[in-house]
Amino acid sequence: MDRAELIARLTPIIATYAQDKDAVASINETTDFIKDLKINSANLVDVILDVEEEFDIEIDNLSMERMLNVSAAMEIIEDKLKTK
Amino acid sequence: MIGNDIVDLVQAAIDSNWKRKGYLDKIFNSEEQFMITSGIHPSMIIWLLWSMKESAYKIYSREAKLREFAPLKLQCSNLIIHNDTATGNVSYENELYYTESYFDEHYLHTIASTKLEELGKVEIKITDHALFDYKKTKPASVSHHGAYLALVYL
Repeated sequence: MDRAELIARLTPIIATYAQDKDAVASINETTDFIKDLKINSANLVDVILDVEEEFDIEIDNLSMERMLNVSAAMEIIEDKLKTK
Repeated sequence: MIGNDIVDLVQAAIDSNWKRKGYLDKIFNSEEQFMITSGIHPSMIIWLLWSMKESAYKIYSREAKLREFAPLKLQCSNLIIHNDTATGNVSYENELYYTESYFDEHYLHTIASTKLEELGKVEIKITDHALFDYKKTKPASVSHHGAYLALVYL
């Protein structure tokens, strides 16, 4: 899966929980889930569960700790897909 | 240093489905899940434990200048619930935080500190989430969620 496809599959998931809908339009790898998209921290769990379902992977606690922005999420997904 | 966290219970019920498969396992350890499932108000205990973790995390992240999403590393213990208040501890990265919470049917609010005596000294102001320039009032900790804005002064 190339990065464009990955971000295209990731975007609708994070858009669901983003409170700043304008920031969703300009999502890129540097976008921060909390600071930019204003995702509520309780909804970060939903982002992680949705990502697990969408990509059929399991995100361990250590990975979850750093999944605070788009680039970290992409790295984690790519990494988990490789070891599947 | 003081931390605080407010949960708008109506907003939380709309935004979060804690009954979703895997949800509780990502946030709460087995002892915390036992506290949640053994009572008659599981959702209240969920948001109580959550706000304890959040308020302690806010102190840690400010001091360590480090951000992470590690709800399982923040461990709640010694939770005692009265009518509309609760006290407890949160441990995180070898640090112990004391917490005090207040709740009614609309919201739940928790303050945390590494010093137990500091909790009794704080002034708490909870308002609806109106646009006023609270930064001028120099709060020690700010939390907003849903319809509420919580400010804590030392």
